Order: sequence, then C-alpha cells, then structure tokens
Amino acid sequence: MSRRAAVVGVGQTQYRRRHSGRNTAELVREAVTAALTDAQMDLDAIGLVVGGVAPDALAGIDHVDMGSIARPGIPYFRVNTGGATGSSAFLAGLTWIAAGRCDAVLVVAVERMGHAVTAPKVFNSIFDPIYERDISLSTLSMVALRATMMIQKYGYTLEQWAHLAARNSELSLLNDTLESPRRFSAGDVLSSGVISWPIHKLEIGPVSEGACAMVIAAENRVGSRPAAWIRGASGLSDTYEMGSRISRAEGALVDVVTLRRCAAQAYRDAGVVDPAKEVDMVEIHAACASSESMGYAPLGICAPADGPRFLDSIVDGTARIAVNPSAGAQAANPVSATAMIRIAECALQIRGRAGRRQVDGIRLAVATGQGGATQFSTAVVLGAEPS
Amino acid sequence: MKDVHMPNDVELITIPGNWNFDYRYFAGETASRFFAELKNSRRIMGTRCGKCRRLLVPARTFCEACYVETVSWEPVGEEGTLEVFTIVAAAFPGMPPPPFVIGYVTLDGADTSIANFIKGVDLSDIHAAGKSLLSRPRVRTVFSAEVQGRITDFHFELI
Ligand SMILES: [Zn+2]
Repeated sequence: MSRRAAVVGVGQTQYRRRHSGRNTAELVREAVTAALTDAQMDLDAIGLVVGGVAPDALAGIDHVDMGSIARPGIPYFRVNTGGATGSSAFLAGLTWIAAGRCDAVLVVAVERMGHAVTAPKVFNSIFDPIYERDISLSTLSMVALRATMMIQKYGYTLEQWAHLAARNSELSLLNDTLESPRRFSAGDVLSSGVISWPIHKLEIGPVSEGACAMVIAAENRVGSRPAAWIRGASGLSDTYEMGSRISRAEGALVDVVTLRRCAAQAYRDAGVVDPAKEVDMVEIHAACASSESMGYAPLGICAPADGPRFLDSIVDGTARIAVNPSAGAQAANPVSATAMIRIAECALQIRGRAGRRQVDGIRLAVATGQGGATQFSTAVVLGAEPS
Repeated sequence: MKDVHMPNDVELITIPGNWNFDYRYFAGETASRFFAELKNSRRIMGTRCGKCRRLLVPARTFCEACYVETVSWEPVGEEGTLEVFTIVAAAFPGMPPPPFVIGYVTLDGADTSIANFIKGVDLSDIHAAGKSLLSRPRVRTVFSAEVQGRITDFHFELI
C-alpha cells in the first residue's frame, strides 16, 4: 500500500429483524455518528463517503443510498457486490486514502430488508433470467449446492455443521449489537427441519436490518487514536457462471479460488508467512455454518483436507485461532452491511473495544467477504501495529 | 433517538407498498440459438472456446475465462454426471411445491455444468435421498412432450 492507513472508528446500530422505529436515513446516521464519535472526528474531517447497499429491491426503494447516505458537500459513491458489498465499500474507500486523494474516509453500509414482505423472492431475482432463473435457484440453494460438494470432497457431516451453528449461537449471547440472540443446541439444529438439503433451518442467519459505519484514516491523521492498522486488503471477482466453477484446474467450486488468492495477496502485503501460526482471529463472512467452514482452508488457517478436523477444534475450543468471536453472520446477516461488520469486528477486537465478546491478545485479524454466490471475495488483514 | 422525537405513546406508522414491474429479458443471438436447438432438434448445444478449448454448456457467445469469442457449436451427450445438488424441502414464494431436486450436471463432452431439475428421485426420506445423490450419479437428459424453447424444455433423470 502506498500510504499506511488504519481503522480509527467503528459505529454499529443494533441488528434486528425490523427497525420499525427508524427510517433508513436515521439508521445510517446512528451508525455514522457512533463511528465519528469513536474516531473523535467531525464529519467535516471526512473527504469521501462510500455507501454500501446491495439490491435496492430488498428495501423497495430505488435509490436507498441517495435518500439516506449522501451528505451534501462530500464526494460520494455507492458499491454493490451482493453479500460482499460492505467489504467492497471498505476497499473502495481505502483506495482514496492510498492514492492521497483524502486523509479520512467514512464507509457506511445499510440493510433495509425488513421492508421486504417476501425477501427470498427478491434474493432469487439475482439469478440469470435466461439460462438459470427458471430452475428455481435461490441464494439458499446455492449454499446447499456447495455444501453437497463439501461432503463429497472433504467429508463434512450435517452433524458437524449443526455443532458449529450451536457454538456460534452460544457466542451470540455475548454480542451486544444483537437485539435478540438465539441460543440453540446441535440437536435443535438437526430437528429444526431441512430447508434445502443438507441445510437445516437453524443453520441459517436470520433476516436482519441495521447499519455499520467505519472511519478509515491515513497515517498522518491517526495520532493517538486507538487504531487497527490495515496491513493488507484485497478483493477479487470471478465468473458469475457457477457451472464454470464446479471443477476448474485451479480449484473446485468449494475451494473458493478468489478467496484463496485475495487472502494470499493480503497476507503478502501484511508480511504474514504462515497464517495458521500468525493470525490471532478471523471473521469469516458466512450466513450458514457450512459456508463458514468453506472459508477455513482458503484463509490458510488449515489444510484443505483438515477442514472437518479444524471445525471440530473450533467447536471443542482447542483451536488456536479465535474464529468469529462475534458469532458471525449466522447471528445477524444484514446483507448490505454484513461483510463490513466482519472488518468492524476485527477492528474492535484489535482496538480492545469489543465489550463482552472481547478476546484477549488479538494483534492480527483477518476478515472475509463473499458476494454473489461466491462470485466476489475480499480479504482484509488488520493489525495492532502499522507494520 | 432522543425522547423529544419519540414519545412513548406514538404509534409507529408502516406505509404499505409494492414493487411489481414486468420485464422482457432479451436472450441475445447465442442463447436464442441454444433455445431453438432445444425446441427444434431436442438437443443441447455448447460453444467451444478456441483458446482454452473448453466446450461451454449452455452455449455462450464468449468464454468468460479467456474473454474471447467462442468459435464453434457442438452437441453434447444426452448423459452426464450430477456434480452438485440440493433437495429444496421448504416452500418459497414463486417456486414449485417442495420437495424438488436441482443440480448442476456435466454432460458428456462438456467442460462446464448446466443447472436444471433432477426428477425421478425417491424423496420420501429427504436424508436418504440426499445421501444417495452424493455419489455423483449418472443422469440422462429427458425432454418434455411440449417444448417451447426454454431451459425448462428438459430435465435430468437418474440412469
Ligand atoms: Zn477459454
């Protein structure tokens, strides 16, 4: 990176099924104000605002960001890469600082899906209307299709994912951004009913609304502020066509080549040689337990064949790395914001501001983002030290 | 928010709305020919990339990996391998009644997989059905009696 930069402010609303007491602009302002307060900065210090909103149709407003995010007098643009929207907005904001165009950027993502009476119907409109939409593909069946390959290829079991989901539900009780965390056992997951085999109902993150904002500052503006230094940040796109990604030479569908490559790039930038030994914490963006486990190997925190064993070590508490101490997107999945929240949670842990979910000794953390049925991947490495 | 804006006795208003637009999706020349082959010849065609030599199915105007135009049309086999699948077991608006199976199949001769319904699977026990499909079974293309030039003109059945 040409200029060093750090996250100096994080602001989050609560995440809940519906924010019926706030309109969208109010929701955004709540997160923005909290992030600026955390950064000890005024809005006048901000040189760019980047908004993150995934499909407008989820909110039922064709310009969600124009009515709620743009603030007069500051450059603004919006990013949309589906589930990776929040982390892509972060990467976009970072480029302005790296290029020296400004010294402080506000990135903010908002999810308003509670407006949608039938949110799944909106999600399912992301698929190609010519060759694929008639096949009744859904965002959930995309997760399920990949899960069947993880069973075939690596031997994961439905029981393991149920235990992982239950473990995450346990952690969610410590996360004060969640209005109503759900605690359940592996047995509860397995008896919650199959939505799209092999995915059970309780394995899936809930409908969630909320906003997340972060302040990124260039090194000269960090000063004495508690900082999470951006050591590496990378994003990659892949073809939309899932049928082209099933079994390529560079890796199978579930090996998430884009995530593996952008994580490798971010580690190189960060000077990380052996992530399994050096990384203290990961926040993997995954709305389901199976997709969380799909992220382990691409991040280099376990070998591909060791994925199921690594999952077991997370569940039984023997894993060296803290995995999703926030409980992840399985506890709250405000689609437009969810990948930004992963970065925000890493920043909070490094800055020692994660409240009851704080884990001791987090000095190097990695956050991922996945969007568009794994078409878009991002990896951001944050550290307690600038280099 | 401060109490000045939110006295306790105010009823929160929800304004009803809907977003129901009609569209016509232009398939383009390549997909139109692919659909015409389904309808007129009951066969599935791919297009080959001259650079990486992959046969892309369904037919594409260009190879998304090499970003060059495909150079020839070729039919693929009627049989193939079910690579990944899911059994949709819950009802969703705008979808067929559950349970039903969808999956990606690599047809013989093709280098990419195509999505469609997998029919003829015993779904009386969802878990048993799921486990039985994990072996990447062979499937056969079955055309509907009535074809209309859509991807739903065919589906796959286990051999
Ligand atoms: Zn090619």
